[in-house]
Amino acid sequence: MTSTASPTREKRTGRGPGRHGRGARRGLAWRMWRRCLRSGTFRTLGPFVPVVALWWLLDALEVFPESFFVGPPTVVDKLGELLEKGILPGYLSDSLTRLGYGVGFGLLIGLPLGFAVAMSRMVRRAFWPILLFFQAVADIAWLPIVIVWFGFSLTTVTFVLVYTIVFPLMLSVVAGVEQVPRELVRAARSLGAGRLRVFLEVIVPGALPSVAGGIRTGLGYGWRALVAAEIIVGTSGIGFMMFDARRVGDVSQVFLGMAVLGALWYALDALILAPFERATVERWGMVRAMEADG
Amino acid sequence: MTALKIDRLNKVYTDTYSGEEVTAIADVSFTVREGEFVSVLGPSGCGKTTVLNIVAGFVRQSGGTVVVDGRPVDGPGPDRGVVFQSHALFPWKTVLGNVVFGLRMRGVPRAERNATAEEFLKLVGLDGFAHRYPHELSGGMQQRLGVARVLANEPAVMLMDEPFASIDAQTRRKLQEDLTGIFESRRPTVFFVTHDVDEAVFLSDRIVVLSRRPSRVREIVDVTLPRPRRWQETAELPEFRRIANQVNDLLAGDENEAADGGARAGDAGGEPGAA
Repeated sequence: MTSTASPTREKRTGRGPGRHGRGARRGLAWRMWRRCLRSGTFRTLGPFVPVVALWWLLDALEVFPESFFVGPPTVVDKLGELLEKGILPGYLSDSLTRLGYGVGFGLLIGLPLGFAVAMSRMVRRAFWPILLFFQAVADIAWLPIVIVWFGFSLTTVTFVLVYTIVFPLMLSVVAGVEQVPRELVRAARSLGAGRLRVFLEVIVPGALPSVAGGIRTGLGYGWRALVAAEIIVGTSGIGFMMFDARRVGDVSQVFLGMAVLGALWYALDALILAPFERATVERWGMVRAMEADG
Repeated sequence: MTALKIDRLNKVYTDTYSGEEVTAIADVSFTVREGEFVSVLGPSGCGKTTVLNIVAGFVRQSGGTVVVDGRPVDGPGPDRGVVFQSHALFPWKTVLGNVVFGLRMRGVPRAERNATAEEFLKLVGLDGFAHRYPHELSGGMQQRLGVARVLANEPAVMLMDEPFASIDAQTRRKLQEDLTGIFESRRPTVFFVTHDVDEAVFLSDRIVVLSRRPSRVREIVDVTLPRPRRWQETAELPEFRRIANQVNDLLAGDENEAADGGARAGDAGGEPGAA
C-alpha cells in the first residue's frame, strides 16, 4: 500500500502525470471514466459487477461444496424455473401485498401520531415514555402473542409490519418538525398565517426532508420484518420460500430469495423513494438550505 | 399620523439555568410616523433585535406598550411584515408562491394576487423569476424577494432586521440604493434595525441610537439629507459625514462608558440575531 502511494505523492509535487488522473494524462481516460459514472445503467448496475464476479469466482473455484454454495448460473436457472411454474410471481405478489398493507397502515397511523406528538407539548409529555417503552419491545418479539391473537394470517404480518414502521416514522416526524427554522414560522405568522396554515404550509413541508428519511428507514425495517414474519408465520411469500427451501435442502432457492429481496428493495428505492425525494426536497434546495441553517 | 408608537418598553429575561434576571431593554420610547424610514442603531448585543421582535409580536414585553396603527400589539400579524436577516423564504415555494403568501392567507382571489405579485416583483427587479425557487437566486435577489413578499402584503409598517448583514459588501450597496428607491417611490413605513452606521444614515429619515444593554434611547438623530439618495452623491455630502460622525461618537461614547463601568451585562438569551 505504502509503496504504491508514495510515488504518487512524489509525482504530485513534480508536475508529471499522477496515477489517478492528475496532471496531463487526466484528459481522455478520466473523461471516459466520468462519462461512464454518469450513465444511469452503469451507476445502477456497475457497483454489482465486482460482487457478482467474486461470487462467480468462489463458485468456479469450488471453495465451498455445492450443497452449501451455488453460483450465479444455478440461481439464474432456478429463477427461470420458478418463474415458469408461477411460484415466484405468486410468492412475490403475496409478499408485496403484505408490505403494501403494512406500509399503508403504518403511514396512516405513524404520520398523524408523529405530528401530534411533535406539535403538542402535552401529547408529547404523555406519549414519549410509552413510545420509548414500546420501541424497545422489538417487532419480532410481538409475534408470539400476535399469532395467538390473529393466527397465521395476513393480520398478524400486517401488525408486525405496522409496528416496525410506526416508530422510526414518528421519531423522524418529531425530528423534522424540530428542524423547521423558527424564522420560517415567524415569517408566515407575520404575513397573516394562522396556526393551521402555519402547520400545513410551513411545518409539514419543512419537516419533509426528515419525514422522507423516516419513510425510507421505516420501509427498510418493514421489508426486513416482513421476511422474518414470513419465515415464522410462513404460509407463502419470499421469506417462506427461502425457509421452506432450506428445509428440503435446496440452497439455490435460498440464494435466489436473497437476491430477489435485495433487487426488489433496490428497485423500490430507485423507482419510488428516490424520485419522490428528487421532486421535493432536492428541487427545493433544502438539502443545502438545511446545512446552511445548521 | 403615527404608524408605530413604542412607549416605555421594557424587557427582562430570566435565565433558565441560573434563574438570574437579565434586563435586555431598560426603557425605550419613540414613534415612527407614517411613510417614515426609522433606523434603530446600537452596539451589538444591545437589544435592538429584541425591540423588533417585540414589535413583530414574536416576543412579549415585560412592560410598556407597542401600538401599531392605533392597535396595541398582541402576537404577530400581517400589519407588521418582517424582512429577516436570514431571508426566511419558503424554500418549497416558488418566487411567486412566496410573494403571494400573505395575500393567500388573507383570501385575496387568485387573479388579483397574481397581478399584485407581478407588480411587486417588478418593483424589486425580479420580474421573469416568478417560477424559480429561492435557492436558485443569489443572496441579494433572495432578500429583494423578502422585501417584495412583505410589501405586497401592504403592512402598516415593514420591519427589517439587519436585512443586508449577510450579503457581500458590493451587493449590499446596490440593495441599499434599491431599497431607498423603493422607499422614495412608494413611501412605506419602515422600521430598520442595523449596526452599520453608514447604512443607517444613508437610508433613514431618523436614527434611534440605543445605548448598550440594558438599552435606553441615547439619542434620536434627524437625517436631513435630500432625496432621492444615491451612494455616489449622498456619501459626498458634508452633511452625510457630519451625521455619520455624530452617530459614531454617540456609539463610541457608549463604549467608553461601558469600559469604565466594567461589567458587561449578561449575554444570555438576549439577541440571537446580532453578531
